[in-house]
Amino acid sequence: MNRTLWFLFWALFLVSLVLEFTVLAGVGHHWWNSIPAFYGIFGLVCCVGIIYVAKFVGTHFLNRDLDYYDR
Amino acid sequence: MTADFLIIPGIIVIVGGLILPVVPERVRPWLSLFFPAAALVVVFAVPEGRVVTVSLAGMDLQPLAVHRLSRLFGIIFAITAFIGGVYAWHVRDLTQQVAAPVYAGGALGVSFAGDFFSLLVFWELMAVSSVWLVWANRTPQSHKAGMRYLIYHALGGGILFTGILMHYSATGSLQVVSLEPVYTPGAVLMLLGVAVNAAVVPLHAWLPDAYPKATVTGAVFMSAFTTKSAVYVLLRVFPGWELLTWFGCAMALYGVLYAVVCKDIREILAYHIISQVGFMVAGAGIGTEMAVNGAAAHAYSHILYKALLFMGTGAVLYKTGTTKTAYLGGLASRMRWVMILYMVGAFSISGIPLFNGFISKSMTVSAAGEAHNEAAMIMLMLASVGTFLSVGLKLPYMTWFDKEHNLMVLKRLPRNMYAGMGMAAFLCIFYGLVPGALYRYLPYPVEYNPFNVYHFVEVTQVSLMTFLGFWVFCHKFHGELIQALDVDWFYRRPAPFFRKVFVTYVSMVFDHVEALAFGVVGRLRAAFQNPMKWLNPITGYRHEAYKYSPMIEVVVGLVLFVFVLIEVLLMI
Repeated sequence: MNRTLWFLFWALFLVSLVLEFTVLAGVGHHWWNSIPAFYGIFGLVCCVGIIYVAKFVGTHFLNRDLDYYDR
Repeated sequence: MTADFLIIPGIIVIVGGLILPVVPERVRPWLSLFFPAAALVVVFAVPEGRVVTVSLAGMDLQPLAVHRLSRLFGIIFAITAFIGGVYAWHVRDLTQQVAAPVYAGGALGVSFAGDFFSLLVFWELMAVSSVWLVWANRTPQSHKAGMRYLIYHALGGGILFTGILMHYSATGSLQVVSLEPVYTPGAVLMLLGVAVNAAVVPLHAWLPDAYPKATVTGAVFMSAFTTKSAVYVLLRVFPGWELLTWFGCAMALYGVLYAVVCKDIREILAYHIISQVGFMVAGAGIGTEMAVNGAAAHAYSHILYKALLFMGTGAVLYKTGTTKTAYLGGLASRMRWVMILYMVGAFSISGIPLFNGFISKSMTVSAAGEAHNEAAMIMLMLASVGTFLSVGLKLPYMTWFDKEHNLMVLKRLPRNMYAGMGMAAFLCIFYGLVPGALYRYLPYPVEYNPFNVYHFVEVTQVSLMTFLGFWVFCHKFHGELIQALDVDWFYRRPAPFFRKVFVTYVSMVFDHVEALAFGVVGRLRAAFQNPMKWLNPITGYRHEAYKYSPMIEVVVGLVLFVFVLIEVLLMI
């Protein structure tokens, strides 16, 4: 990705943070609404978590050769 | 009576498919568009509450009973059959040309059936017609996968039928109505039978086994009808069965995990059907008006964008001849329009605002929150991250980017395939921009507006940070081509053993018995072929009589008998 796209990326994230702390202050009744930038943290942690869990499960339990059932 | 049958949308499309073999080849593609279009007109035209009754063996069956939910599913099934017909316009294989509309008609029939017996007939018709879309690939793998698919659905249909019979004997009614969440044997068996078609984990293995092995165009139809007609039945018959909520959440997570593991683009999408249907099953389990609305809307949206995604990956398969990520990559500049149209579907499934997935997925997840089921809500949000990661980022990255260049030879794509993808993409964007066009057909009144600041912040933060995580760790997706083990291991792995015990060894026993029987017969024939050998044993082996054929003796005997008979008659 070039520099412009990264700039847009962070600008959009900043806008979402500003909206969260202004327009959405006090909005939402779930326990996670009190955690700042919860959805951003959730997205990053879950994404990395899914990648690593899938890698681990695949390597140790699931992955077999393509002709596994034909042997 | 006949006129009544002509307003049953499923019958229209099935008849349209069955007459194709007797019409000229050049007319067939037109008819494969005409009949779904006619069915769509009828779906809009028949009023809610309209019932067609048929008496059979003393029972009043209702092959047509129009419910709000029937109309919603009927609209999208007919639209998909039409778009699928456009995408498959160039196909001249009669097997697929007939199987696809019969399959679509079966799904339409299920969604309009007013009694369980009619529903079962259309249900089974879907199984026996859709399998031809797998077999039509005509490879050893597709043949075996199709057979497994057929056996699995025969089993599921049998369980459903047993449940229907038990339900009928217990209640005396075959009406398709919402059942109270009481786990009677009949209801449980019906739920199990429907769960097979909805690919509820762990009864899902037929789906990622068969769909990736279907033909390029067949997979588009398959992605739309079987699981979503099962979702329709869950929403009509089993809303509020809480167990479904947790099975739905498990499906949503199970599907995305496998979608990240798999290295075949159509297999990724197949596993992702399980994940997305999980949202709908969870919605059925929550069972509130908003949840049922959300699940129904999500089924509608899902059919559109999943068909588009399968069309996109089908186009990649058509052009390159492969769906393995190891051989793809670096093709963005060489199939730009396929990529752009695929990305419309990818943004839709990822729930990006202004695409149709957003207007339905957010409703389902919000319904979990409204029902104070925050655990389910978190699980579905986690599945959403996995969706964007696998279908929105991993699949397009591995297919069109990842490498600098890819010099593989590409086939030219028929224009009708672009047209099919364009229609689906248009509808994905249309419903994303005008959610009211979908919400007005939902079963309950809608007071939900997806376009608010909260959802914007939620989706923006989740999507951007998911992208960041992917960007940093995308190298983790490389690796050897693999076969991912799933619960089908439990019947595919022991299959050679059972084949030996129940087929090979049984055949060997039959072969031995057959050889033994023929041996005995041969020896008996040799011993008794010539009665003279027994009547005149003292003449020995070289006696002249032994050389006579018994046939000559019979003929001579008959001649003598005729002479004697004539003599006797003359004497009288």
